[in-house]
Parts: sequence; structure tokens; C-alpha cells
Amino acid sequence: MYILTEYIVRGIQAGSIYGLLALPMSLLFATAGTIDFAVGAYALLAAAVATIVAGPLGIAIGIAAAVTAAAAMGVIFLVLTRTGTKDHIVFALASFGLAVAIASFILWQFGTQAFVRASFSQFWSLGGIRISPQGVINLGLGALVTLLLYLLLYWSDLGRMMRAAAVNPSGAELAGIPVARIQFGTYLAGGLLGGLAGIMILYSAGLDFTASLSLTLSGFGAAIIFGITSPLRCLLGGVAMGIAEALAAGYTSGMVTAMVPFLFVLVVLSASNIGGGAMAGDRP
Amino acid sequence: MRRLISLVLSAVAAAALSSGAAVSAEAVKIGVVLSLSGPAAVFGIPERDAIQVAMDKLKADGKLKRTIELVIYDDKTNPTEAARMVTQAINNDKVVAIIGPGTGGNILAAGPLALRMQVPLLGPAGTMAITDRKNEFFPWVFRVAPSDRVDVKVILEDIAKSKAKKIGVFFQEDAYGKTGVDFAKEIAPTLGMEVVETVGAPYTATDLTAQATRLRNAGVEAVFLQVSISSLGASFVKAANQVGLTAPAYTNAGLAQRSFAESVGSDVDGLRVLSIGNLPYDPSEGEAELAKLLKQAGKVPQGWGELVGSNGLMTVVAAVNAQGDKEITGVSMRDTIEGLCGYQAFARGKPCFSKDNHDGWAEDSLVITELRNKELKTRR
Repeated sequence: MYILTEYIVRGIQAGSIYGLLALPMSLLFATAGTIDFAVGAYALLAAAVATIVAGPLGIAIGIAAAVTAAAAMGVIFLVLTRTGTKDHIVFALASFGLAVAIASFILWQFGTQAFVRASFSQFWSLGGIRISPQGVINLGLGALVTLLLYLLLYWSDLGRMMRAAAVNPSGAELAGIPVARIQFGTYLAGGLLGGLAGIMILYSAGLDFTASLSLTLSGFGAAIIFGITSPLRCLLGGVAMGIAEALAAGYTSGMVTAMVPFLFVLVVLSASNIGGGAMAGDRP
Repeated sequence: MRRLISLVLSAVAAAALSSGAAVSAEAVKIGVVLSLSGPAAVFGIPERDAIQVAMDKLKADGKLKRTIELVIYDDKTNPTEAARMVTQAINNDKVVAIIGPGTGGNILAAGPLALRMQVPLLGPAGTMAITDRKNEFFPWVFRVAPSDRVDVKVILEDIAKSKAKKIGVFFQEDAYGKTGVDFAKEIAPTLGMEVVETVGAPYTATDLTAQATRLRNAGVEAVFLQVSISSLGASFVKAANQVGLTAPAYTNAGLAQRSFAESVGSDVDGLRVLSIGNLPYDPSEGEAELAKLLKQAGKVPQGWGELVGSNGLMTVVAAVNAQGDKEITGVSMRDTIEGLCGYQAFARGKPCFSKDNHDGWAEDSLVITELRNKELKTRR
């Protein structure tokens, strides 16, 4: 039982990163009805920049780089919108293209080196389980950002405008809501959150230029598993994926560790169709 | 009549002499097909750099008995592209041997072409399958680096010296990782050890604490990491520190690179890394000479990539020199390489090929290093 508990604790710590990656997807889906598949690339960019510039300045510049990249995606979104594109899949594909471009840029500029930074050398003990303070920071940050986003989306005027912009952009504009600005701002927020996730990974496990797509997929899995429209469910989705991953690493053998979390997502989504949709995030 | 015969004989002799002179004056073309872009470029670019600086040095020192011309191609870390470049090198540029392609998969893709067009490949990769005698193209592929099996054996022998009996293996989930696990399970019992736990992770895992926990719970006394992805190796060591896995960790040669040593933090100190020589930090005499040539050319020595690249070149040069003024073809290069043993190279160890052994470099080319203060210090 102790061993199972330890794996679950490890999974919760890892899952908070997935939740952090899922949050910008939730935010954009709530605002523009599309997905930004470049979130993993923003995380990678922030980590790469923070690797070459030491200390808090590196973190700030890294996050700024991520926000700048997200701004580029925001501009692409606006250009596509103004040229009459309405299909949300086009925006998603454009973000996928940007993600590939960012990963190539990082390979070109930074090479194949590992992006890793040392964090804490002392660890805490929780019932005999060694916990890294960095893991606690990750989890705390994930929870804090989730709470802030929840309050923003559901308890503020800006949140109401954001949701209106997604549900009925034309109606929202007629009501005086600056839809384009809100959607652009949401992309920027996505860059900020993606960048934060990248910094957390940099100080936790580390990553390299290949990480972009898998981070995006992990974030996407976390976002859809319990419902993409709610930040809280995104965080829970991330934690659930992290636990599934830790249990897979702890109890399965061979080459299946990578498969289990996504299999878990598939099972939950399939179960949602059988059981009426509540698990996938539909409102009861 | 006698005068006529004499004239004819003189003409034949003159023709033969001029033909011989033409053969020896003509440059011998060697293809260099390496991964200069894509994920394996981290090794391919140093391989190419070493080949170029070593060739310049050999020319300057007059150590080439024939003029050798290198024709360089990029296989883009892609098997299809590797096959295309090998075909182009042989058909268009008429090369008589190829150093490369750059990765095990690329060499396997190009092997059937080498067989069909009868031009030997000198592969700078550890992948066992490239010199498997079951391959129809076995006679045409030579390895200029130690094999993965030799690598694993040397690591396990070093672990055995520490009196460890129970080994855990952490591997990346791909063919390379699986090969390491299989070899470790096979070799460990011959050294009085047992692989008691194995655990894998995908390339891009963001947390390896669960994997480290599993190995810790198995009570392993040493951990063998079969990984080639820098971030995965660094991440595992950090995770091991976190969960209290104190057993020493050894990793295969994929991480023996300057870029890895210098990019990881102090919490990865103590990691033991197998390396082909130790070009950047603790070179042998030959390695120091190569490092000096690289520095003179404005390059920073990176690791074993330069050494296996130079192994390919030195093998080709030895084969060409051994053939004197004879006409050189792919077949003659293959036959000559199979007779080479103990020739000059920059890397440590004694290279030796034979008709039955196409793995030229063995255990004596390897060292165990330890990561300390962003440098790989040689342990033996």
C-alpha cells in the first residue's frame, strides 16, 4: 500500500505539469473555440532560453520569448480570421505548423543539448516519501493558476466576455465586446502559461528539442479527459494522467509505459460516450 | 622482322607504363555519407569535421601514397535519404568506399545497395545488426566503432568491479534501449550479477521519479542506463537523487558528449559514462593530436563522434596505401580492409578486421568516465 501511495504522490507531482500545459488549451477553447497546438513549443522555447541565461533574468526572458511566440500565433489567428477563415481546424493546424517551426528553430540555435537546470538538493519527507520542493512548487503553481483562471472565466466581466466571444463571436461583437483583442490576449496568456510550464520542467526533469509535440499531446490529453471547458477539470485531468503514467512505470513492464496514459485517456473518453458524457465534461 | 617485333614490344611496354601512371595519378574517390542534419547531427557533424582535419594533416605530412578525394553527403538522419546518397555517391561520383551512413538504421538501409554495387561501407555505429553475419550484405559492411554488445560488456565489467550483484536497468523505449536490456540480461550472469529490475520511459518523459522509485524498491546495487537522449539521462539522475536511489549509475556512450557534460547541473555529478576514448577532457596521445588539429581548424572537440569519423578515414587510407599502384575498386577495397590489422589511427585501441570479423574496434578503445563539474573524467 505504501508503494502504491508513493507512486500516486509521484504521479500527482508530474501531473501538475500536464495540468499547467492543459490550462492554456482550456482558456483558448473557452474563448476562440480552437486549440493551440504550439503550447508545447512555447514551453520548450522558454526552457531553452532560460538554459542559456542564468537565474531569474533567464526565467523572465524565457517566458517573454514564449509570450512572443504566442503573439506570433495570435497574429496568424487574426490574419486567418480577417481573410474569412471560420473553420477552427485551420487555426489548430496553423498552430501545429508554428510548433514545428519553433522546434526547428530551437534545434538550429541550441542544438541537441539537454535543457536542464539544477534545483533543490534537499528534499522533504512526507510519511517517509521523499518529496522535492520543486514538485511542490509545480503543484502549487498549477493549483494557483487554475484557481485564478477559474475566477477569471466564471467570476469576472472579462471572463463573461471571453466566453461570449467563443459561443457567438458575431453577437459578441454587436454587443460591443472586442472579440479580436480578447482572442489575441488569450493566445498571449497561453504563451505565458506554456512558458511557465516549460520553466517548471526545466527545473524538474529537463527536456530537449524533441519535447515539443509530446508536451502538447500530454497537455491536450489532460485538457480533454474530463472536459476542456473547465480549468479545474484540466488540472484534474493532468493529475489523473500523471498518476496513470506513474502507475504504468511502477507496475507494467517492457515498452508500454508511454502507451498507458494515452490508453487511459481513450478509455475515459470512450466511457463518457457509454455513460452519457458526464466524465468527458458535459454539463449534467 | 626482328626489328618489327622489337618496335611492337616497345610500344606495348610504353602503353603499359603510361596506363600504370594514369592509374596511380588518378584520385581515389571516397564517399562520406553522414548525418549532418536531423537528430544524429550531434554525432555526424563532429565525424565530418574530424575526417576533414585528419585528411588535411595526412596530405600535409605526405602520408598518402595516392591522391584521395573525399565527396561529402548528408543523409539527414533518414534511411531513405541515406540510400539515395549512397546510390548517388557510387553511380555519379564513382566512389570506391563510403564512410557512413551515419546511423545504424541508415547503414542497414544502405547495406543492400553496397552489396549490389560492390562498394564497402564503413559504418560509425554500434548497432549490432549492421555486421550480423546473417545479412546478405555482410561482406560489404565494416564497423569503425565498438559494437553495442562490447559497450554493454565493458560497463557491466566495471559494475562487477564494485562488487554489485543486483543490477537495475533504465532504458529509453526504442530498439536501442531494448538491445541494451537484452545484452545486460545475457552478459550480467557471466560476471556473477543479475538484472533484477528493468524499467523504461519514452524519450520525452517529463518525470522519471516513478521509474527511479521502482529501481530503488528492487534494491538494486547499481543502475545501468541504456539511453542516448541527454535530457533523459540527466532527468533520471535527478529523479534518483530525489527518491533516494543511491546506487551508482552508469550510462552508455550516447551521453559521452561535451554538450551533455556542459549542459547538465551539479546534481548529475557522479554519473559514470562509457566513452569511446575521451577526446574533450582526457585524451590519449593520438586523441590529443586529433583534438589539436580540430582546435587549429577552429572546432571544439565534442566527444567520440570525431574519433569514429577519423577511424573511418584511417581505415580507408590504410586500405588505399596498402594497394600501392594497383587499380582500386570497391572489391579491392573490401578485400584489403579484411586484411587490415594494427594500422595507425587517432583513437586508442588496436583496430583489426578479418574476413570473418567486420567489427574493427574492441574493448580497448573504450573508457569509463565520471561526470564531475561539467567534465567527463576518465576512471580507467
